[in-house]
Amino acid sequence: MSISIQRNFGALCLVGILAAGPCVASAEDASSDTVKVLQQRLEQSIKMIEALAARVQELEAKTAATSAAAATAVVVAGSQQPPAPAEAARLQAVEQQISQIETANAARQGDDSGLAVHGFADVNIGNHNPFHAYEKGASLNNLDLYLTPKLGDKWLALFELNFEVDHNGNFGVDVERAQLGYQFSDAATVWVGRFHTPYGYVNTAFHHGVWLNDSLRRPSFLMFEDQGGVLPAHTVGAWLTGGARGESGKVLYDAFAGNGQQIIGGLIDMRSGGNEHGKLIYGGRLGYQWTAGSFEGLSFGVNALDSKINDDQVPENLTDVRVAGAFAVYDTDTWEVVSEAYWFDNVNLYQGIGTHRSEAFFAQIGYRLPYFVPYARYERARLDQTDQYFAQQLTGGSYYRTAAGFRRDLNSKVAVKFEVANTHYTDRTVGEINEFLSQLAIRF
Amino acid sequence: MVVRRKTFVCRLWFAAVLIGSLYAIAGIHARAQAAALTGGVRLAVLPQSWQDDTGKVLSLADLSGQAVVLTMAYANCHRICPMTMAGLTRLQAALDAKGTHAEFVVVGYDPENENPSTWRHYRQSHHLERSNWHFVTGSVADTAQLARQLHFELWKYDEHVMHDSRVLVFDACGLLARELGPKADYAAGAL
Repeated sequence: MSISIQRNFGALCLVGILAAGPCVASAEDASSDTVKVLQQRLEQSIKMIEALAARVQELEAKTAATSAAAATAVVVAGSQQPPAPAEAARLQAVEQQISQIETANAARQGDDSGLAVHGFADVNIGNHNPFHAYEKGASLNNLDLYLTPKLGDKWLALFELNFEVDHNGNFGVDVERAQLGYQFSDAATVWVGRFHTPYGYVNTAFHHGVWLNDSLRRPSFLMFEDQGGVLPAHTVGAWLTGGARGESGKVLYDAFAGNGQQIIGGLIDMRSGGNEHGKLIYGGRLGYQWTAGSFEGLSFGVNALDSKINDDQVPENLTDVRVAGAFAVYDTDTWEVVSEAYWFDNVNLYQGIGTHRSEAFFAQIGYRLPYFVPYARYERARLDQTDQYFAQQLTGGSYYRTAAGFRRDLNSKVAVKFEVANTHYTDRTVGEINEFLSQLAIRF
Repeated sequence: MVVRRKTFVCRLWFAAVLIGSLYAIAGIHARAQAAALTGGVRLAVLPQSWQDDTGKVLSLADLSGQAVVLTMAYANCHRICPMTMAGLTRLQAALDAKGTHAEFVVVGYDPENENPSTWRHYRQSHHLERSNWHFVTGSVADTAQLARQLHFELWKYDEHVMHDSRVLVFDACGLLARELGPKADYAAGAL
């Protein structure tokens, strides 16, 4: 009896839901707002059913004796009513329709049309600009928009638009990455366009997402070209990348070639429209990453590149920039240790003043506590000032820096970082600066 | 001198306003996402084809009849997922203390780089080997759909999976009963 009454109430309510929204259920192009309304109605109706069921139970308790007597009388009379087949069929049909509505809603929620825009942004306050040390006070760094339009299962596209303050303090827009690719398999993806040159670890691990990095900034010599980096962080050309996964780790490789860069106005330019002399940058990287076992979290690798880089001087310099590098990373739930080293063996081709050797390295160690991540970093660059490649760069001087700081995540999208650093400049200009920096970095 | 000081004060004010705006935008966005998950979500209407860390096929509908604690994670995450796992462990301890049983399902965010073997190693290295915990992977499409249906943030920045920390509790009927955010008191008895 009670089950029957509950079912009747439930069936009435469910029919009411269906009566309220048959158009929504059948329309293929129902708007998401309509779907939400339908969901809310469904939720309200379920609550109503539960409330009515409770009320039914209450009424049944009051009439239990009467019901029992009536049932007994019916049994005695031998006239027990059989279950109404039409009612049962109708209830079953209603349940099926409800299930279909839920499935249709789920499918609509799974609709993946449209292009999502994500990105990063950061604001810095300190006694110096962390990316242009000769500026002081508060500074915007970048607003980075990241787009990955879907082109199908195998075709890939990636664009990174960066609104950033340049070394003159002016705001500008830069297409930092514009890559079109095809994924043959996990073992091989080829990209063409403008990408981050695959050397070391930092340049392709953190890209322009400042929020990603536990530290407030990259080592100075590894910053992007317009922030003081002395390596060609971007390449316009083609890039083959992939890996082979084993039981306890994976081998990772990269090979690339593109336009040789040019130093213009003291900064390395990646020649997005091509260069004048038609010469190339090419290189590769090979690494291994442990994903299980005693060495889980450890990875190391080597890389090399060769680029013919000219400048805007008269007469022009052309340098064969030859760089070898190595990196080691230990990244776990508790430790983040990153170290990279680079050795330059540059040849100034036009001015004929021979081979120049330089080197740069850094080591950073961080420890992930539950609520913040303290870190310390040491970095050093010994750059030959008779090498036209470094001499023509605004930030091509030698230095060493000791830094310590910490990161605190305010939520999963907002982090605040602090860093104190002492930097000694050792050749082009001799002196030191002390920096007290803070940063608010977000992702969205 | 006075002009320079005014300029400096103006810059500080400007920076403070910018920082406040960024923080407010991020906070509003996070709250809006959390509030967006309205009722009517059932385990039965989520994608069903998953593979656990032993390689066995797992259907979420098979878990109906018992409470299900569901979250998403990726094995190479060292910032958010360890805290989520710590929260789940506290929740499990609280349930054990109450003598309550629940099935724990952790859906991998990154099927392109994770497989049952990845999660098997993860469970061993993180000491999460209880039999009622299921670490599952699915297809890229199913993973994305489940994330969308349950409003888990999911997007990739190159090899990084960008996500939040949320734990959903489904009741024995398979209906979404409650959501635990990153700052929830997991040990206070979620079920």
